[in-house]
Amino acid sequence: MLEDQAMSVQEAAAVAQDARVRARRELVISAPLVYTAWGLVWFLGYGAMWLSARGQHPYRGPSGVSIAAVFVLAGFAAAAVLFIAHKATAGIDGQSVRYRRIIITTWVTGYLILLLVQAGISRSVSTRALAFVALAGPLVLAGLVYILASVLGRNRPAFALGAWLVIAGACCAWLAPADILAMCALAGGGGFLVIAIIETRLRT
Amino acid sequence: MTAQTGLDPVIHGPVRLRVMVTLATLRDGDSLSFTRLQELLGLTPGNLITHLRKLEDAGYVTTVKSGRGVTARTSVSLSQQGRRALGTYTAVLRQLLDSASTNGTGPHQPARQTPGRISPPLQPGPAQEE
Repeated sequence: MLEDQAMSVQEAAAVAQDARVRARRELVISAPLVYTAWGLVWFLGYGAMWLSARGQHPYRGPSGVSIAAVFVLAGFAAAAVLFIAHKATAGIDGQSVRYRRIIITTWVTGYLILLLVQAGISRSVSTRALAFVALAGPLVLAGLVYILASVLGRNRPAFALGAWLVIAGACCAWLAPADILAMCALAGGGGFLVIAIIETRLRT
Repeated sequence: MTAQTGLDPVIHGPVRLRVMVTLATLRDGDSLSFTRLQELLGLTPGNLITHLRKLEDAGYVTTVKSGRGVTARTSVSLSQQGRRALGTYTAVLRQLLDSASTNGTGPHQPARQTPGRISPPLQPGPAQEE
């Protein structure tokens, strides 16, 4: 088939539609899958921490097991997201690759700064203030990263998610430590899962 | 047929149309490696090169070679002119389909497919909302 065969208008439409569906399935990172993976980490991880810390008087913090569960869940989610992204973007080069590097670098740098701040203020502020930085800080950071990603990728659902996470994180300043955990699980995890549903509907 | 229908003859072929639509899925400023494109379309290297050359001659795609030896890589991307041409092609195709469904037949041959199958949501632009 060196020379392209003639085709009718109907055949051309079918070829174009088939190629478009296939290209989108193969070359575009599945946003619903990524949102679902992170949503489950927030919902289950922070939910487990909340279950272990609720009703504490005075507040002593979530159990070591629940904290370990968060890191295990986050590790699995990160591996899954990296696999999905690598599979979809193999062979693609250019602006979107640079944008992804900026986003990942921002996220990792932001998280390291958050850990440093947490270590620096741990002896000089109240438990409540420390809990806000340690628990709601990652939520605000995630929100800011999604806003950045939405600007770079011209993606409205990502902007909505980012703004929601930042607002939810800011509201945690008025909450008790155990309630911050509940807020992160419900508003954070819930936000990711709702956006996953919206993205799925936008695609169909 | 294409001269009569107004469809761009450079794009109006199964392979070249698939190449154009596939490359249009990428964002502006992105390129796809020759090997990945070949794998996606299931073509032999010679066949793909032939069609890419036609599209490149028309100014619709750009190919860039980089590296040497085992690290050599050829990247293919849709040019702005190509994106516009695909947009025009899609618009003309849509018009022809609309008139075909109104008349109950294809524009230059009897319709062989059901009306539902000939009204796909064609969108040539890049997937900006991913």
